[in-house]
Amino acid sequence: MKTEIRNRPAFANLLVEMQPGDRFVAEAGAMASMSSGVTLSTRWNGGFLNAVLRRIFAGETLFMNEYLAETAGHVVLTQPLPGDMIEMPLRGNTMYLQPGAFIAAEPGIQLGVSWAGIKSLISGEGLFRLKVSGQGRVWFGAYGAIFSREIQGELIVDSGHLVAYEPTVGIRPGLAGGIFSSFFGGEGVVIRVSGQGRIYMQSRSFNGLAAWVNSHL
Amino acid sequence: MAAYAFATVGNILALTGDVDMFQTEQTFSGGVFHHSIPNGRAGADIIVTPVELLARTQGDGSKLFSLKLSECQLELGGASGRMVFCRNTDSSLTIFCEERGFPAALSSASFGALDDRFRELRSLQRSQNSRQWFWVSISLLLIAVVCAGLYFGTLAAAQVAVRSLPISVDEKIGQMASVSMAPGIPLAEQHSATVLVRDIVEHLRPYSAIPDMDFRVVVIQDEQVNAFALPGGRIYVYTGLIRHAENAEQVAGVLAHEMAHATLRHGLQKVSQSLGIVVAMQFMVGDVGGLIAFGSQVAQESVLTSYSRAAETEADLEGARMLHTAGIDPAAMGEFFEIMKHEHEELPAILSWISTHPQHDDRISEIRRFRDSLPAAQYRPLQLSLDDAKRDIGQQ
Repeated sequence: MKTEIRNRPAFANLLVEMQPGDRFVAEAGAMASMSSGVTLSTRWNGGFLNAVLRRIFAGETLFMNEYLAETAGHVVLTQPLPGDMIEMPLRGNTMYLQPGAFIAAEPGIQLGVSWAGIKSLISGEGLFRLKVSGQGRVWFGAYGAIFSREIQGELIVDSGHLVAYEPTVGIRPGLAGGIFSSFFGGEGVVIRVSGQGRIYMQSRSFNGLAAWVNSHL
Repeated sequence: MAAYAFATVGNILALTGDVDMFQTEQTFSGGVFHHSIPNGRAGADIIVTPVELLARTQGDGSKLFSLKLSECQLELGGASGRMVFCRNTDSSLTIFCEERGFPAALSSASFGALDDRFRELRSLQRSQNSRQWFWVSISLLLIAVVCAGLYFGTLAAAQVAVRSLPISVDEKIGQMASVSMAPGIPLAEQHSATVLVRDIVEHLRPYSAIPDMDFRVVVIQDEQVNAFALPGGRIYVYTGLIRHAENAEQVAGVLAHEMAHATLRHGLQKVSQSLGIVVAMQFMVGDVGGLIAFGSQVAQESVLTSYSRAAETEADLEGARMLHTAGIDPAAMGEFFEIMKHEHEELPAILSWISTHPQHDDRISEIRRFRDSLPAAQYRPLQLSLDDAKRDIGQQ
């Protein structure tokens, strides 16, 4: 299965070129076009209970679409927000994705919801996160460009910019500066990322867009 | 145990042939960081032996890494705070695992040699956590204080502003609300029920806080036991309420309560309250996102759907004062609540009045207390009868 992320970074879309027998799963509603030789079947997003949990807590859809190529063909996948997509290979390791970031995965990947905790909530990253693990490739998207960083030590990330992180990375809320500068300097709560591992960030934050739109209403 | 056949890189152990050397081994699932793995990391099965940690990566091109327990530099962390990292001396190899039994297995495999380090790390983590919770609590408290300050500040300012606004503002709001609400089919101006309610209102008018308020009465053909007042003095009474009242004094009790809502300008206060919430929330929007937005929505809805309990009590007491000065026994107001309370279970239609006027017992006793505190007075019965109105309502 050959894939290509096109029109990066603003309007990225994933072209999947499939050989007969190839299959993958994708977020419901992500498909923009597909060959007639590819069949699409919809199933609960990992069992009924899991699907409901993922819908409620991880911002994912209730259903997953499974694409199976009966003859060679292609599928184009998109995401709702303007921004980049990235391909992430997993070799038995685990990655946490922010709600809504997931786009598609190869069959060897397991998806689950995991409790992120109060610290994550205060950091503005939600109480739950999507856990992807297994063998294969995962594609996820973000608002704006995506860049990754290998953490060694500590890094401060503004809330709303963290898209994915490894379980080996610790995240905790913090203030950007002192109490005064944090609230009147516009940075507010930030995330202190520490430990060893990789994180993925997005160059735009949805909250930033919402606040900007709100100020013009 | 299956045969291992792996390449060696740096401090990677090479094993070939059948190996069956680990009698007391325990296997966990975790991962490895090493530069020789594509992408630098992989999930791995971790085997704890009395000598070393072995990590076998999963999938194609599986590799085996080994780390002597005597060289292992421990660290705790990760997203859960439970992830145990073991690094070699130059930190080029890291084996990590967050399974529950892993620290115990490491401890027993090393014959307690790693226990001191584990204790040290845990106490460090605890002190960091408690320090962090301390600062988080302080920050949340500060945010709460600022929001509360903004909320109550705006509220107080708005209430002062409301009092200085002319009554014509109340009347305009009331008029606009009456147009958009269209509560039901009103009875004719000369209908005996309308005349009766108007007479009672005119009787009470001189004793209200704002006697020249433009009190207007509309009686609505509806079996609900309900009455409400709009800002500016429009008073709506449902025929169900007249039907359930035993005498004119009880109707006067409800009307005094509704007139008090209008003269105390509770409608405008309600608007100013939601303004307070909006201002306090505006300060917060952007950073604490969804939760606050949700909270503000709930708070606003509950404020806008009914008067606060405090406003209801205020209207009860002002209504009772009006009745008293008008020479009507304020106990009539309490009597009507008693009727409501008793008929409550049988008639679902009266729920509407009850739902916005909760805690009847409290209110009845409050009115009674207030009545007892008033100077003794000679109460006269109203020279009005409900009979004509009740008969004419029935014929509609």
